[in-house]
Amino acid sequence: MKNWPWAILAPAILFVLIGIFSPWIMTHDPAAQDYGALLQGPSAANWLGTDYLGRDLFSRIVGGARTSLIAMVVVLVAALAMGVVIGSFAGYVGGKTELVLISVIDIALALPSLVIALALMGVFSGENFTWMSDYWKMIVALTLAWWANYARMSRAVVVAELQQPYIEAARVMGASHIWIFTRHILPHVLGLVVVYASADAGALVLAIATLSFLGLGVAPPTPEWGQMLVDGMSYIEENPALVIIPGLALTAVVVSFNLLGEAFALQKVPRAVRGRFLARKRAARAAEETARNEVQA
Amino acid sequence: MTDAIVAPAIKATGLKVHFQTAAGLVRAVDGVDLTVAQGAFHGIVGESGCGKTTLARALIGLQPVTDGQVNILGRDRAEWARADRKGFARAVQFIFQDPLGSMSRRQTVGQTLEEPLMIHGTGDGKARRARVAELLDLVALPDTVLDRLPRSLSGGQRQRVSIARALALSPQVLICDEPLSALDVSVRAQIVNLFARLQAQLGLTIVIVAHDLAIVREVCSAVTVMYLGRVAEEGAARRFFADPAHPYSQALLSAVPSPDPRIEATRPRILLEGDPPSPRNPPPGCRFSTRCPVAEPRCREMEPALRAVPHGGAAACHLADASIHAMI
Repeated sequence: MKNWPWAILAPAILFVLIGIFSPWIMTHDPAAQDYGALLQGPSAANWLGTDYLGRDLFSRIVGGARTSLIAMVVVLVAALAMGVVIGSFAGYVGGKTELVLISVIDIALALPSLVIALALMGVFSGENFTWMSDYWKMIVALTLAWWANYARMSRAVVVAELQQPYIEAARVMGASHIWIFTRHILPHVLGLVVVYASADAGALVLAIATLSFLGLGVAPPTPEWGQMLVDGMSYIEENPALVIIPGLALTAVVVSFNLLGEAFALQKVPRAVRGRFLARKRAARAAEETARNEVQA
Repeated sequence: MTDAIVAPAIKATGLKVHFQTAAGLVRAVDGVDLTVAQGAFHGIVGESGCGKTTLARALIGLQPVTDGQVNILGRDRAEWARADRKGFARAVQFIFQDPLGSMSRRQTVGQTLEEPLMIHGTGDGKARRARVAELLDLVALPDTVLDRLPRSLSGGQRQRVSIARALALSPQVLICDEPLSALDVSVRAQIVNLFARLQAQLGLTIVIVAHDLAIVREVCSAVTVMYLGRVAEEGAARRFFADPAHPYSQALLSAVPSPDPRIEATRPRILLEGDPPSPRNPPPGCRFSTRCPVAEPRCREMEPALRAVPHGGAAACHLADASIHAMI
């Protein structure tokens, strides 16, 4: 990890910051059309130029970050919660319940997430689901497509932890199942699953863009990178920036998130340790580092 | 009149624990009667695989019992634990063989010791911390260990922490599954002394599973010797060590080295041939007959019942009286 290019994480960090503060960063309303300035190149008024409806490209990129970020966070949290609950329950209860739940998880895992999401979007397009906006349909579909992997990991951790003698010790002390689960098993489950979720963030950003690209995700006035790619394609000769910039933004963010996930994996999945312990470790490592540098100097 | 009789701390009758394995039915504990008097320091000894750990686990309900009954402090164990899990936990505690494994690796010593108090809703944060300090005092640990993780403690310190945790709820009965075997020999004596001191100080009933007879001799008031899932001999420790009645006990005792080199050079030893038979397929008659140096034909046909021996206790041997002189 010493020579690891930390700069590669910049796009991910930037994506999150821009997503959070986008209303203050945008120079224009991303939906405001200006027929006097269609398909313009970069200028002082429109930093990255304008699209075929005269909308400011910079503001749309910034707004698109927020759209993706919110969808990504909601899907990750929901899928995580669903996966942890189902997987942990299967692992803790065991027996036939576990067998049935594992079968469901395996079926969900056997199909590519995007295929499940597409199929669900198809189902949601029926008239029973008109009460949901396209944006929320996409979020629900992605959640239902994404939970299985977390469920499988949660179950594995639960089963492994249950075999530890300290669980027996807790039973001997008179602890209830709920106590044992929340105090002893859940921290281990979250410690692992949250790390994997952070690695999944990139794939999720891409999935959101893909669905929008296919016209199934975010409805038109809302800025979204995938949709901007599709819209820009028709005008690629007039203003290639309309395709290049959303494409580059998407690539950078996805690559960055994937590398973040890899960084976690290389660290051998950190334990969710207590703050004080972590601080002590960090101090020890820093001291080691200085000592080594001094030797080299 | 009967009211005046104090119920034994532990009374097991006809206890059987069988495991179904791929290779067949393993009779780990096969019909054990055990009585532990209140206030006793009771040692359970035997070779590896004789079922002593399984017995200890069955006594506290960590191991499902195939048959038989366990009474603790005069109450049926299974029913007590079902009706009042926490009350049972406050009465009986268990110490595991591996202190490190029996503690969560992400909890500090302080959190580990506080956990039983939190489970039982004892006092507020301040009262609990005071109790934790008291417990550390009891097992002679400095309070600097409070913020450390079990992994960073020495073996002796770990076992002290696990003893302190077991004592947190002030139990009357403490069952210990080989609490010394994970420890360095030099540390063992300290922990043995700790057990002896705690027993005297707190009036505990302690059941200790061990295979080191020297330690049992040091602290125990009563001994049960197990062989292949059965009780071979039981009785007061003093009588047992002075005058073992069962040939197996005699062999076990003859394997304990003496610290006096003159005695060590000349003392008689009984060497047993071979390994104990498999608990999957115990031999007919006396279970020890395949390795017994004084076995007679009837030993291979008829299983001996526990019978009283002179000076107290009982042994499961047809030759319980004669064998003493036959052997030594």
